[in-house]
Parts: sequence; C-alpha cells; structure tokens
Amino acid sequence: MSPTTRTRTITSLVQNESGTLNRLVSMFRRRGFSLNSLNAGDCERPGYSRVTFVIDADDGTLGQVLNQVERLIEVVEVEDITDETSVTRELVLVHLFGSDIELNRAGLECIAKGGKILTFEQGAATMELSGEPDEIEEFVANISPQLQRTVHRTGAIALHTNPWR
Amino acid sequence: MERTGAQIVMAGLKRHGVKTIFGYPGGVVLPLYDEMLNWPEVEHILVRHEQCGAHMADGYARATGEVGVCLATSGPGATNLVTGIATAMMDSVPIVCITGNVNSWAIGKDAFQETDIQGISLPITKHNYLVTDINDLPGVLVEAFYLANSGRKGPVLVDIPKDVFTAKTTNDFPEPEPREGYILPGMPVESELDEAARLLMAAERPIIIAGQGAIAAEATEELLALAEKLDCPVANTLLGTGAVPRSHDLSLGMAGMHGEAAPTMAIQAADLVVSLGSRFDDRLTGATKSFGEGAKMVHFDIDPSEHGKAVHTHCTVTGHLKPAIQSLLKKVDSKKHPEWRATVSGFQKDFPLVVPEGGFFTRHVISALQAANKGDAIISTDVGQHQMWSAQFYRPEEPRKFLSSGGLGTMGCGVPYAIGAKFGCPDQEVWAVCGDGGFQMTLQELAVMKEHNVGVKICLCNNSFLGMVRQWQELFFEKRYSSVAITSPDYAKLAEAYGIPYVRCETAEEVDAKIAEARAIDGPVLCEFVVEMEENVYPMVPAGGSNSDLIQDPDLKVKTSTGGQQ
Repeated sequence: MSPTTRTRTITSLVQNESGTLNRLVSMFRRRGFSLNSLNAGDCERPGYSRVTFVIDADDGTLGQVLNQVERLIEVVEVEDITDETSVTRELVLVHLFGSDIELNRAGLECIAKGGKILTFEQGAATMELSGEPDEIEEFVANISPQLQRTVHRTGAIALHTNPWR
Repeated sequence: MERTGAQIVMAGLKRHGVKTIFGYPGGVVLPLYDEMLNWPEVEHILVRHEQCGAHMADGYARATGEVGVCLATSGPGATNLVTGIATAMMDSVPIVCITGNVNSWAIGKDAFQETDIQGISLPITKHNYLVTDINDLPGVLVEAFYLANSGRKGPVLVDIPKDVFTAKTTNDFPEPEPREGYILPGMPVESELDEAARLLMAAERPIIIAGQGAIAAEATEELLALAEKLDCPVANTLLGTGAVPRSHDLSLGMAGMHGEAAPTMAIQAADLVVSLGSRFDDRLTGATKSFGEGAKMVHFDIDPSEHGKAVHTHCTVTGHLKPAIQSLLKKVDSKKHPEWRATVSGFQKDFPLVVPEGGFFTRHVISALQAANKGDAIISTDVGQHQMWSAQFYRPEEPRKFLSSGGLGTMGCGVPYAIGAKFGCPDQEVWAVCGDGGFQMTLQELAVMKEHNVGVKICLCNNSFLGMVRQWQELFFEKRYSSVAITSPDYAKLAEAYGIPYVRCETAEEVDAKIAEARAIDGPVLCEFVVEMEENVYPMVPAGGSNSDLIQDPDLKVKTSTGGQQ
C-alpha cells in the first residue's frame, strides 16, 4: 500500500438522468476503484443530486478517480473535501435484542452521543445515531457482544462549508 | 409542426449531414424503416451482421472525420453492436448508434427481443440514452451528435422504444449547447505551455510521439511545423500512422511492441519525450517503468484523465491540440540537433526493416502495395501479424489513410472498415488488408460489396495460421501449437459465390503484377496471397518487457555503427 493511501471523502453534483447512478457505479467497478460508501440524494437544485463517495486511495488513484468522475457527462462538479472545511455525517439504525441491562447500556451510550431511542420493549430496542463516521464506527463497535443486532449504516454524506472558496 | 419519432430521427440524420447509415431492420424499428422510404437523401446500407454496421460507421468516421451512424433493432440486434461500439470507444471514434427497443410500457418485463442495451453499453460509450418521452427525442439526437464529435470523441448510443418512433411531438431540434457538466477543452493554460516550451528548448535529444489525437484534432500540419522548427524526430503510435508524412526525414515510423527499431530505440535514448495526442498505450510503452527512462515526459492530451494514468509525466498540457501547438510554436525558437539526428539515423541504418529472400512473405505483399499506390490509398487492417507489417511497411503521407483497431484489437474489422471508408471517400482507392483468421469473422459483408459495387480491394494474406498467436506460442510456449492452425474455404469459389472477381498470388515474383491486376478492376476484388506459414513479426518487445530489450529481426545481418545488436 502506498504511504499516501488514506480514506478520502469526495462530493459531487450530478444531473439526474436515466442511468446516472448506474454510470457512476459502473465506472468505479470497471476501473477497479473500490468504494467504501456512496450516498446520493436530492439537493437544492431540482433535477440534480449530490453524491458523496468515500474511498481509500493514494494520491495517484485519487487524481484518477476525480478525473474519471469529472469525465462523465452528467457530472457538474466533483471535489475531494477530505482536507477542506466541511461537515461529514452518517446515520446508523440499530435493532438490538438481548437482556434489558445490556439494552439500557447501549441506549445510554446512544443518547450520550446525541442519538435517539426509537422503540424500546422487553428484550428489544431500535436506536438511531448520526455523527462523524468515526463516531458511528465507535458506537457500533462498543455494542455489547451479548446483544444480537441488525445494523444499517447509510455511509457518509458531506458538504463543503468554507464560505470564501 | 407535429412529427413522429421516426420522422424526427430521419430529419435529425439529414440535419447532421448524414448521407449513409449502416443498419439492419427488425420488429421494433419497423416504423423507422417505413419512414426511411420517404428520405432518399439518406442511403441505408443493409449490412449482413450488426457488428459490421458498427464497424462500417467506425471506418466511415475514421476515413472522413465525420460522425458515422449505425442502426440496429432491439435485443440481438443491439447486442451484436457491442464489439463495434467497444472498438470505437477504445479508439475515440465518433459514431452514433441508434437502437430500437420494445414498447416503453414493456421495458423491464422481459418482452420478446428486449435487452437493456443502455446498461450493457454503459462502459463502452462516451454517453448513452434511453428515450422514453418523445418530447426529449429532438434534443437527445442533437446532443448525441454533439457529444460524439466534440472534445475527446467517442461512440454515443440512443435507444428508442418502438412506441416513441410512432408518438408525435411539435418539439423542434434545439441548437447544440454544452451542458453544465461537459466542459470542452480549449486552449491549455499558459503556464503549462510555458513549461513545455522550456523543456523543449533545454532538450538535446528530443523526440515527439504522434498519436491519433493529433489526427482527431486536425493538428497534423502544426505537429510537423513544430518538429521541423525544433529539428525533432517524430515517432508515431499505431493509430498515429500518417500524422506526419512517412517519407519526411523526421518521420521514424511506429514505436512500441512491434514498431520499427529506430523510433523505439530513439525514445529510450531521448532526454525529452513529447507525446502529442497519445495515451501511452501498453503496446507503445512496454514496461512503463523503463519507458523512455532517461527522458523527461511531456504529455499533451485533450482528456485530463489520461495524464498520469499510464506513465509518470513531468509536464502535462490539457487542451485542444491544434491551438496548443500553434501557441507552442510561438514560444519556441528554431533549434538544430545534428548529433542527435545522426544517432537516430544510425539506428535507422543499422536496424532497418527486412524483407527476407527465398519465399513469399506477407512483407512482400505490403511492400508491393506500398510500391503500387505510394501510400496514397486508404488501407484498413484486421488485427494480428499483417496489421503490424502494414504499420511497418505501408507509408501513408497523410492522416486518415491507415484505419486499424488499435485499443481493442478487434479481429474482423478490416473488411467493414474498408467498406465504411469507401462509402465516405468514394473517390479514393481503398484496400482491406486481412489475415485468413480475421477475414473469416466478417466475410459475409462481401454481399454488401457486391450489392453496392463497393470498390474495395481485399488483400487477404493467407498463411493458414492465426499468425500472431502462433508466433507467441512459438516464442513463449515452446512451439506447442494450440488451436492456431486454421483452415479456409476455397476463396476462389467463395468469391465466385458472392459474384466478386478473384485474384490469386503464390509467389513473390508475381506480386506486383497481381496487385496491378486487382487495381485495374473497377469494383470489388478479393486478392488472395498465399504466403509463408511461419513468418514472425520483428522487432518485438515481449509483453511486459522493457522497450530497451527489444528483440531484433534474426534475419537482420547487423553491421553496426552504434555498438551492436541490442
């Protein structure tokens, strides 16, 4: 692995058309760039989406990824914002089963991190938490091994927040 | 004015100056084929396999510089285009492919002859569309032609459901305008050009690599002017053949795996390599680490994603090549490199191409073809040994005379390329140089040649082997020949069956006369040259090897002034 390899967060603005997302994902697969996560959703402009990619890449691969994304006809802008002034958030839903003691412990941890308890009944609970991907990682990793679980993470979304750029 | 989708397609073709389309009808494109009868100004050529329709559109585009158009029905018609589209994509050739699809309400329901050609063609098109709303069709057609032939060119596919051909709209064709996410590369930024100029002025042993980008950008005159001003030798890629006149004393010919020795060696000996419109394909570079290892690399490309993709570069220039070189010409002073030129001439003198004696070789055939038309005819090639010998021995003076599948290496494209080229350039002499392997992949198109009296001369070099694969088995698999011997039909009878004149040549002595005989025939000809079975292409750089370790032709009796055989 190259010494410059690290996790990069890339955001892009794309025009919504039949096949746009397919085209993006197909390009990553075809060129052998592995995606940690991809998240697409509506944005402030009708007919456009913002797409956030998270990849592990060295400097050379990063340049290739940015160029290849930019090259797609529907892509209006693409930017690596890993080192920029930005916010990154991820949402996780967890459904847990087990002893109430362990469920309580997980629930307190979730609330302490700013999350919500969505349902709580005898032996089962559903929780949501949003935060930096690292926080989500930590929360999920710290859930007691005695609890059975279903976990769904959304992958990161990110926005550039530097007003002067 | 209200028009049907079929009328819009035909009007769109006419609007873009399309005179010839290559296609094959089927169920879902019936409304379009019916409408076609009302548009005599657009000639439809009924191909015998859709793959060849795509290749003909591709050959037409390579020969003319205009967009080629092919047409196919849904399902198998569309999937048969795939090899042709991928071939055009790898070589950045502007073609527009129109496919029919099942009715829009039936899409996704596994209807008869339904296939997801938009999904299938995603990675092999510059862009593609599925038009489900008739109101979008005029705009999509305009943009399809615009995208295909602008920026870095490439194939665009438009998939149209059957009901959209019959639906009506009053929408007219908009003016083409670049959409927000499509930036046309124009003039490179000044600082990049300044750096390139500085490196050129500092270089003592510079070499230019001319790629197909120079031809696509119509920058070949500027390229030659730059080479002359800087007294800089020019190597070319396979697809860059003809970018500089081959007879010019700065032109070294093709470099790379089966290139000539001199350009390949000159790149290794250079202190500056300037690539003008080449993407440093692995067949050019060999092992990239040692490619031009003593040289600084300057890379001009219209597509920024090519920079740094294959080789490490010291200076990159992004933009349209024509204004880029025009500007560069003003930034550099005239230079002379007598010592460097003498070194390169030494390579040429010591390691020339060889045509062996005592037999009848494909090299005799291509040399004779060159002698007959002086590189002035358009030649297309298939893929394999004959393709490499064509690149070595055929010496075009102009661009768009040498049509070949470079990136994808598609066997069977030679004949349809030539047919497409002849439709685009009816006044030019057109030859298809084929091997017996590739020819048998697409020979059904002889029917098209007969039907339209397409005056393509087929130069079929028959060695009864899949020669390039055989050569590799000989050299790298201890001559264990596996499925490389290939039989052929009786080509005299085949030609007769298709109603095409046949010329046969079995000796080197008669080759000039036989080529003259073929040239004298008005209309299509199949010329079969029965050549040596086991002839190898040299020089050769083994796959993945360094260009510094190229294997010279064993037939070359070396008398060196530069230190012996490499």
